[in-house]
Amino acid sequence: MISRWKQIWPPLVAVLLFLALWQVSVTWFHVEKWMLPAPSDIWREGIASASSLKGHTLATLRLTLIGFPLGVAVGIAAAVLLHIVPWSARALYPLLILSQNVPIIALGPLLVIWFGFGQLPKIILIMLVCFFPVAVAGLGGLAQTDRMMLQFMKMAGASRRQIFSKLELPHALPSLFSGIKISAAYAVTGAVVAELIGGNQGLGYYMQIQKSAFRTDRMFAAIILSVLLSLLLFAAVVLLEKWLVRWKPRRDAQ
Amino acid sequence: MTNKTVPPSSGEPVKEETPDAASPDSGTEAPALEVSGISKSFSQRGRSIPVLEQVSLTVKPDEFVSIIGPSGCGKSTLFHIIGGLVKPDAGAVRMNGAPVTGQRGSVSYMPQQPALFPWRSIEDNVILARELKGAARSEAREEARRWLAKVGLGGFEKAYPHMLSGGMQQRAAFLRALLAPQELMLLDEPFSALDALTRSEMQRWLLELWEENRRSVLFITHSIEEALLLSSRIYVFSGRPGTILHTVDVPFPRPRREGMTEYPEFLRLKRQLSGWMREEQAKSGPLR
Ligand SMILES: Nc1ncnc2c1ncn2[C@@H]1O[C@H](COP(=O)(O)OP(=O)(O)OP(=O)(O)O)[C@@H](O)[C@H]1O
Ligand SMILES: [Mg+2]
Repeated sequence: MISRWKQIWPPLVAVLLFLALWQVSVTWFHVEKWMLPAPSDIWREGIASASSLKGHTLATLRLTLIGFPLGVAVGIAAAVLLHIVPWSARALYPLLILSQNVPIIALGPLLVIWFGFGQLPKIILIMLVCFFPVAVAGLGGLAQTDRMMLQFMKMAGASRRQIFSKLELPHALPSLFSGIKISAAYAVTGAVVAELIGGNQGLGYYMQIQKSAFRTDRMFAAIILSVLLSLLLFAAVVLLEKWLVRWKPRRDAQ
Repeated sequence: MTNKTVPPSSGEPVKEETPDAASPDSGTEAPALEVSGISKSFSQRGRSIPVLEQVSLTVKPDEFVSIIGPSGCGKSTLFHIIGGLVKPDAGAVRMNGAPVTGQRGSVSYMPQQPALFPWRSIEDNVILARELKGAARSEAREEARRWLAKVGLGGFEKAYPHMLSGGMQQRAAFLRALLAPQELMLLDEPFSALDALTRSEMQRWLLELWEENRRSVLFITHSIEEALLLSSRIYVFSGRPGTILHTVDVPFPRPRREGMTEYPEFLRLKRQLSGWMREEQAKSGPLR
């Protein structure tokens, strides 16, 4: 408990100091509210428009919770496919990388043209953001299976399927999770960007509306909420990892 | 359920061993392992490097046989050929009379490092080879627990490998091989990673365990004393390409005694083997 507290207080103090500095300098230099609102202004506005913010936050959360798991699933499926089918990695890896070089913002309108104004183009956008880190990390983890363990499995007459499920997959799990964590960090951002391309709900949509009204304070409130969502998702993934990879020796064991 | 605990009745080392190890049927039973005329070369950067040349050896049922030879002479490669991981260029592998060249799943194997699976508890590691052959987990676990207690790993059934010391991990890895359903065990320098003290402790432990539970064993080692202590026969390999230089029958009765390392005959054999090894090492170059 004490050690946990020791971990928490430095970033907490840093954030509080940053907020204090922000507050003081905004008042000190008389910065216009529509340029940069003070933290206290943002807080007040956040409370005032809590109900509409809540709706939009929930919409973004819902979108993330559909797109992120689907993206991770596609990433894992891609990694497994590219690992198991021998020539597929060489053939498809360039395509995989290409998919990440297309600017997401440019892709949005295209997806709307193809898939309409519903949730589908947004979900696809999040999946595109999320699947890549998982696929790359998963593929790397699967390719780096321990040689001695592999020899043991083969000597014991393990089938391809057994080698995969009892050795390669669990061996790749830590590496896979580092990919999932990166995706988790991108997922909410992906959702917010997706909401810019259409629809009438979500924090992305809300920010766009507030931008045209120069309500910077509301934009900041939305940004903070999306950051919190992102942190929450990340923490959930870390917890899942801790549970699934509980066999791993703790590096910071004292 | 399986033939794990073979009664030691059939175990007394056969006295009338023929000097020619390759002779196919010296006893009434077919040999547990018969390797005949194995050759293998690997190609490295376009050049073909011969690693094994005309290697023939035999392990009779419930016999403990050792291979000793300089580093890089192809001992592990021979294991990989026997286990079906590597195809030989020439020669054949037979087990209990049946041809098994290139066939996997017919040996139980203990690699040089323990190579326990870190995400499996010790008991689940130990039952792995059986699980792969389709055994029911709960039943296998039960027997595993009995054995773990017997080899001093009681209380560690649910522990993960990284929580065990090197010697304990080695014991678990050995148990994994011992509990495998396959009759023939291939042990590739199982104790090379241990410190001297733990090593001699493990040798005595293995000797005792094996004498109580006879299995056919082929054992790779760098230690002459270890080979003499444990085995009934020793094949001395040349440097690369590996061929069999000498076959030594170790005459000491079983169960082997603590004090046998002091016997004049033991010391004589040890001197002889050391001489051969030194010669081989000298041939393969000034270094090593
Ligand atoms: N897959 C492979 N491809 C190319 N060369 C190989 C391969 N496997 C083994 N070799 C070569 O074969 C030779 C024998 O290797 P091996 O591992 O069998 O030796 P070893 O007798 O077990 O040695 P050590 O006692 O050091 O374990 C080495 O020179 C090694 O480089
Ligand atoms: Mg070796």
